[in-house]
Amino acid sequence: MIRLGFALAGLLMAPLGQIGSLDAPAPKPKSYVVYSAEQQVIAAGKKSALELHFRVVDGFHVNSHTPKSELLIPTQIVLQPAAGVKADAVEYPTGTSYSFSFDPTEKLDVYSGAFTVKLPVVAEAGAHTIAGTLRYQACDHAACYPPKSLPVEVLFTAK
Amino acid sequence: MCRKDVDVKRNVLVFGVMVVGIALLLWAGWHNLRERRKAMQEAEARHVVLTPAKPGDTAGLPAADDSGMPHLRGKVAPDFTLATLDGKKVSLSDFKGRPVLVNFWATWCAPCKVEMPWFEEFQKQYAAQGFEILGLTDDADAGNEAIAKVVKKSGVTYPILLTDGKVQKAYGGLDYLPVSFYVDRNGVVVEETAGLGSKDEIEAHIKKAIASGAAPGTGGQ
Repeated sequence: MIRLGFALAGLLMAPLGQIGSLDAPAPKPKSYVVYSAEQQVIAAGKKSALELHFRVVDGFHVNSHTPKSELLIPTQIVLQPAAGVKADAVEYPTGTSYSFSFDPTEKLDVYSGAFTVKLPVVAEAGAHTIAGTLRYQACDHAACYPPKSLPVEVLFTAK
Repeated sequence: MCRKDVDVKRNVLVFGVMVVGIALLLWAGWHNLRERRKAMQEAEARHVVLTPAKPGDTAGLPAADDSGMPHLRGKVAPDFTLATLDGKKVSLSDFKGRPVLVNFWATWCAPCKVEMPWFEEFQKQYAAQGFEILGLTDDADAGNEAIAKVVKKSGVTYPILLTDGKVQKAYGGLDYLPVSFYVDRNGVVVEETAGLGSKDEIEAHIKKAIASGAAPGTGGQ
């Protein structure tokens, strides 16, 4: 009986293996910045911090919100007003120091990998959506790409 | 109850637990797959591609490879006439018979600003061989003041020209910066580079452009 059980288990596990193969990594994308829209829940009528999660694709970086040169384009979020939501100034993470290998003396301040921007809000009870745009300018180890704008939507419920 | 009955009941119980466990695993796998597909679709909908499509779709323009780099090597450099920061018109053909480095850059491009002082140094070093550099600013909307500030900080004295949208297309679309074209005395592109290279590599390309083509006074753009 137990042997029969294992045999049946083997048969049942086979499709699971197929599901696993469907999850195989997709071809590596060339280059992009991704925003992860996640539903968030905060306390109604109280000051809370919403989190906006971004990821810079491996091998690239974007200027931080405070690049070390006024001529570099900072990462910046512009958000539209939303009914029932009072938003304070966006809080950006600190960047990390970066230099191009051919000129280690020139220090830049950048975001790479995952970075999170915080938005302090006080919201009335209910579901809310704040629309906005992330403007950034990305480079890799040797070249830079023109400034881009990425639409974002902050979805949250105040309870 | 006899021992055999107890064994059968135990086996049935074990089998039942296994079936439930396997069913849970299957459900978890299916659920995970569905969530991942959904997340991938959302990410796909929101992604911004920083390495744009090949610019070779437009007839008459140089095709690019997967890196977005145009194939102008061995071809005559497209001529252009552009304005300097003070409004003076400069054409590539003005430098007929001389080796020229056509460098596209922008104020927001940090690696561009690394190599610009090197270019200035090389222009002085190889001036006797007729070598010239033209710096084409790919972000004319930054304003003359910002451009002039970078130029001054870089110590650049070679001509800085404001692009017009057409010249970028003529040179392959220029999806990223810096991009440089080393043009010989006959007006032929002998080398093209995208991204920041080493100072030694840049000098080697300049020497190649100087060495290539006919002697001064013959041929040209």
